[in-house]
Amino acid sequence: MDAAVALTPEAADQAAGQAPLLEVRDFSLRRGKAVVLDGVSLALQPGETLGLIGESGAGKSTLAMALIGLLRAPEVQLEGSLRFRGTELTSLKEAEFRRLRGNKIGLIFQDATAALNPCFTVGEQIAEPLKRHLGLSKWDRRERAAALMQSVGIPEPRLRLDAYPHELSGGMQQRVMIAIALACNPELLLADEPTSALDVTIQAQIMELILDRVRELNSSAIFVLHDLALGAQVCDRIAVMYAGQIVEEGPSERVLAAPLHPYTRGLKSCVVELGSRTLVPIPGQVPPLDAMPAGCRFAPRCPKAQAVCGERRPLPETRDGRQVACWFID
Amino acid sequence: MQAPIFSLLDVERTYELRGRGWLNRTPRKLKALDGVRLELQRGDTLALVGESGSGKSTLIRLMLGLEPASDGRVLYGQRDLAQLDAEERKRFAREVAFIYQNARGSMNPRMRIADILAEPIRLHRLCEESAIADRVVALIERVGLPAGLLQRFPGELSGGQIRRVAIARALAAEPRVILADESVAGLDVSVQAQVLNLLRELCRESGITLVFITHDLGVASYLCDRIAVLYLGRIVEQGPTEAILNTPRHPYTRALLQAFPRFDMPLKASLSGEIPSPVDLPKGCRFAGRCPQAQSACRETDPVLTAHDAGRQVACLFPVASV
Repeated sequence: MDAAVALTPEAADQAAGQAPLLEVRDFSLRRGKAVVLDGVSLALQPGETLGLIGESGAGKSTLAMALIGLLRAPEVQLEGSLRFRGTELTSLKEAEFRRLRGNKIGLIFQDATAALNPCFTVGEQIAEPLKRHLGLSKWDRRERAAALMQSVGIPEPRLRLDAYPHELSGGMQQRVMIAIALACNPELLLADEPTSALDVTIQAQIMELILDRVRELNSSAIFVLHDLALGAQVCDRIAVMYAGQIVEEGPSERVLAAPLHPYTRGLKSCVVELGSRTLVPIPGQVPPLDAMPAGCRFAPRCPKAQAVCGERRPLPETRDGRQVACWFID
Repeated sequence: MQAPIFSLLDVERTYELRGRGWLNRTPRKLKALDGVRLELQRGDTLALVGESGSGKSTLIRLMLGLEPASDGRVLYGQRDLAQLDAEERKRFAREVAFIYQNARGSMNPRMRIADILAEPIRLHRLCEESAIADRVVALIERVGLPAGLLQRFPGELSGGQIRRVAIARALAAEPRVILADESVAGLDVSVQAQVLNLLRELCRESGITLVFITHDLGVASYLCDRIAVLYLGRIVEQGPTEAILNTPRHPYTRALLQAFPRFDMPLKASLSGEIPSPVDLPKGCRFAGRCPQAQSACRETDPVLTAHDAGRQVACLFPVASV
């Protein structure tokens, strides 16, 4: 039974043209009364890398979790649509999601030490998706696992197959997680802060590795990041999120080099660069989920806010090759 | 020139690891710090930069007198930390404050913020009991928080607020030196910017000497006039911030700068491999195994930290030439 993953007729038509690999349309996620994600729309083309950027509480990880079916009813209420290769994800059953996760959609989490199971060797953990999704024999799995470890730059993979996670350094554990995520050649890779626990020189190595492997497989990737400069370096597109909404989305060189939304600008002026002379923090803080302002959610902290901003929510408009949700774009 | 407020004279810190099994009892040595020489003048702001395992935190523990040096001496003013008597030890505790990496974990969750801030004032008998409340209010306002937070518990504060309280507590005893361990790590950029601005302002207006541990060269350059780069227990380069950023002389410093994410430069994995184990260090330069320009001499001779240009010291046999 692979019906869930197969294309619907409508999607098959789309596939003939330039169908996005992933399409998020007017997607909202509620936890009781709190609107955690509010009307998020995005499209990701095959081979593209997208960065979700914003402060804690912006909903970046929540969106990623919803995409892989780890946040679903009844804990949360979903509205709108999430389409992956033409399949509607919001209505998938858990068993159907399991066929996607680790197979067509690979996952990399922030904390490899916590994400890896301490009771199994890394070889066994890399082999698991090979068994579950590809049904490889024990011998083939071991061979393939060793090859995967080699491909993510783990020296002496055959010796390390039988190592437990705690015997490896943080950087090596992160490489193991990348090997697991890429084991079944996924079409979409979701990486939630894959390097924020690592040192800069290791971060650069790991990011380069992920990008190389993603390009080699011709996959797409979504990175959840808090580091704007890193986003500029690794992502084709950037979506800036604030309080559960996307405020600006477009090609990363435009969004980050010449931001239009006041929030993107504010974020950028907080980033510590080498030799920064002044940092200008954004005043105030993200409003709590149960007390979101009625109009633009950023209005209370925005230097350009006027009366209309507090009353009506600005919808995303196309401006200079990107989408911006603001009443007063220059 | 005045006498330095802190001096580290060829400080070493080794930990003995027991061999495996009872037949193999030969202890192995882990050298966390190896021949560190450092001088701090009054009013200096120094960043200790390095990756995990470079010995940054061990160095701070030694400077706080929490651990003895295995070799070499740590001097506070003219006095060796290992030889302070009870009275001097108390004075040291008042004059040298520490901001912990885990601000929330460093506070008693059952104490109100007001009591947390009052504790050092009371302990060092800095003022009359009746004046403490006013001082606590002044402290919290100095770090930009409303006095209303004083009746809260640490668990009720946000990540940015708790870091500010940690800074306020460090200021409570009116120290001459503040040592801070990764005090802005893990904060959102806008909150990080606020805390960095606060720290910078405090240092500038009160002339406090600051030693700031960080793995982030950007943060180091924003906050401090001097940077010391550590690698495997040794200072490989130190000097004025501007010089370190613009013309790094040590290949490791250069690699750290290149790996730093930047808007205007493509991603560059400047180093291969990882920081090796500080157990059984190789002979020769400890960076040679990862150094892109290592030569055979580097594997034989261990370079010492020597004076280079304008106030800079480098430990490399073949320093990066100026461009």
